[in-house]
Amino acid sequence: MRSLDRMFEQSSRTLAQRTSRRSLLGALGQLLTGAALLPLLPLARGGRAEAATAQPDVNNPQSCDYWRYCAIDGFLCACCGGSTTSCPPGTVPSPITWIGTCHNPADDRHYMVSYNDCCGKTSCGHCDCNRNEREKPTYRPSRNNDLNWCLANGDDSNYHCSVSVILGVVPPGS
Amino acid sequence: MLMRRRALLAALALAGVHAAVADPMVDYTLFCMGCHGAQARGVPGKVPPLAGALSRFMRTPQGRDYVLRVPGAANSALSDAQLTAVLNWLAERDAGAGAAPVAPFTVAEVTAARRTPLASVQETRRAVISALAAGGGAAPALDY
Amino acid sequence: MRASALMFTALVYLVAGVPVRAAPPPLQAEQLSVQKLPPPNPHWIYVFDEAFFNEIDARIHLFDGDTYQRLGQIDAGFSPGVNLSPDGATTVVATTYFSRGSRGTRTDVVEFTDNRTLRVTHEIVLPAKRAETVPSLFNVAYSADGHFVYAAYITPAASFGVLDPEHGTVLGEIDTAGCQLVIPSGPNRVSSLCESGRLLTVTLDAQGHEAGRAMSAQFFDTDHDPVFAQGIKSASGYLFVSFLGEVHEVDLSDGQPRFAAPWSLVSPAERGVWRPGGVQLGALQRALGRLYVPMHKGGEGSHKEGGSEIWVFDAGSHRRLARWPVAPLGLAPIVAVQVSQDEAPVLFAATSAADVAVLDARSGRLRHVEKHLGQTPWMMLN
Repeated sequence: MRSLDRMFEQSSRTLAQRTSRRSLLGALGQLLTGAALLPLLPLARGGRAEAATAQPDVNNPQSCDYWRYCAIDGFLCACCGGSTTSCPPGTVPSPITWIGTCHNPADDRHYMVSYNDCCGKTSCGHCDCNRNEREKPTYRPSRNNDLNWCLANGDDSNYHCSVSVILGVVPPGS
Repeated sequence: MLMRRRALLAALALAGVHAAVADPMVDYTLFCMGCHGAQARGVPGKVPPLAGALSRFMRTPQGRDYVLRVPGAANSALSDAQLTAVLNWLAERDAGAGAAPVAPFTVAEVTAARRTPLASVQETRRAVISALAAGGGAAPALDY
Repeated sequence: MRASALMFTALVYLVAGVPVRAAPPPLQAEQLSVQKLPPPNPHWIYVFDEAFFNEIDARIHLFDGDTYQRLGQIDAGFSPGVNLSPDGATTVVATTYFSRGSRGTRTDVVEFTDNRTLRVTHEIVLPAKRAETVPSLFNVAYSADGHFVYAAYITPAASFGVLDPEHGTVLGEIDTAGCQLVIPSGPNRVSSLCESGRLLTVTLDAQGHEAGRAMSAQFFDTDHDPVFAQGIKSASGYLFVSFLGEVHEVDLSDGQPRFAAPWSLVSPAERGVWRPGGVQLGALQRALGRLYVPMHKGGEGSHKEGGSEIWVFDAGSHRRLARWPVAPLGLAPIVAVQVSQDEAPVLFAATSAADVAVLDARSGRLRHVEKHLGQTPWMMLN
């Protein structure tokens, strides 16, 4: 599968030509299945190794300053046995979520970030982080991080931690 | 799809709307996907699907009116032009093979309908689906 | 002879372990009892503790703002909505339990606690739809006459449950078409906040079913300056404060919401620089007409930061009366404020370090800091 950021940068009409009937949204349907590991952006990989730089924590997935946590609310799954893109073992990803945008200083792009919750266990209690760039109150749920996004999980709706999954680049001008 | 998109953009330009709308896939991701899902299938019992439903609603005036007045559409932060583009983008993918294509929404249609959000969503949904089913042809599933 | 008799007596006493001087009587045997609460006073405060690091174990701590005593606790489950009955006699908690503590079958309930005994008297089981979100006065609320209890639902579709607290039943559910929360807005009326910047008001009949609904005019702009969902109780309705510091007063005493012209907490130079923030971001002392708001310096995205200062306003003239920096008082940023409604009012301020300060509401003088009154005290009720 082509890397997601390149996919989103292409025009949607090109993507549409590759859309299969089986999955309404084609490649978008691959997102958040948990099966595909999203590639880390090149500069993000070396988070800990960059401790000496001016803003070391901007690239550290276990730091609240990590650039893609710009509107996260809760415990970082990366500190709880998961990662920015995986729920800790034994927890259940929330199928519903909200999606924000964060600026990556490494490449000066804005990325769409999905802030799913991982559910079904009690509070991780580690790496509590609450940032609210472009966040809005609960009456705009598509931009709100206050809601327990585990809420639609039925019996598995206890809140454990939050991830931040990159979905693609926000095209300039939109 | 190429022709469709050009036609859509031309229509928007004619409507006097700035044609440089955001990419509908990006808009779907940012404003709809969080609840309706990456495959637009919703969440059983919690969030209705768009797949297997949207283009069917769009077959009748009553169904089209419903789609434009549900909270997620009527109250969405998307502009009228953006909402039009997203719905048409979704509908295009949802249309069944061999079925007559549904008429895309126009911006004017969207603008007019979404100003009055529905009061009672569940009730209206059931009524619209019943009417669609009674009228023959494919109707969205009542339950989700 | 006498000397030796005396010595013998002293020796006997010594051996017997009895001190030579007369001893106090031994402590009496005791009886275990249950503490009765003293008579309530206006400086009692119910401090809601989300206990975010152990979120299934939220509590409410009852604290006496005069004696600085912790009086007792009400348990509150997972991510609850909490409120008081209009007469103050009952605490209502809308919460969620899992059958195995942190997992298992989910049950949503509304529990009622008698505030004289701090015992749960009864509960009403809800459909598992309860809104699990930031604390506010509008997650669960009584009608003004105490006849109904409203519980906000988010599934993520928005609706609310109408409950009969006296008979312990769910009367029904009202679809609010995306508008959220339950703001009691008059006899048999409930309002919800809409993304469109309007209030939806639903009128109920005596059985708690919908009799009608109306949408207000738009009074705020979600895109450019949204209002915090956490409204501040006023004499005639609620104040809603916006991210940029606009105060929207909503009068709910009539048949439909009436909006006063907004006034600003900040000067033009301060706008966008100083902002309100926190969880419970304002309290109004109604007799004095004083509004207290935690304020911080920050940019876009800082709306949940606690206040480095408490600003005090005359709600009638809109004049700022005082700025009370909190760091000199040894306090961390303020995330919640509440004020008593008596003639010698006290202001309670909860900090991000989980302390609750008690201040004189007129002068701002710090009277007491209660350390760690809960794990994450985010809202206070009285």
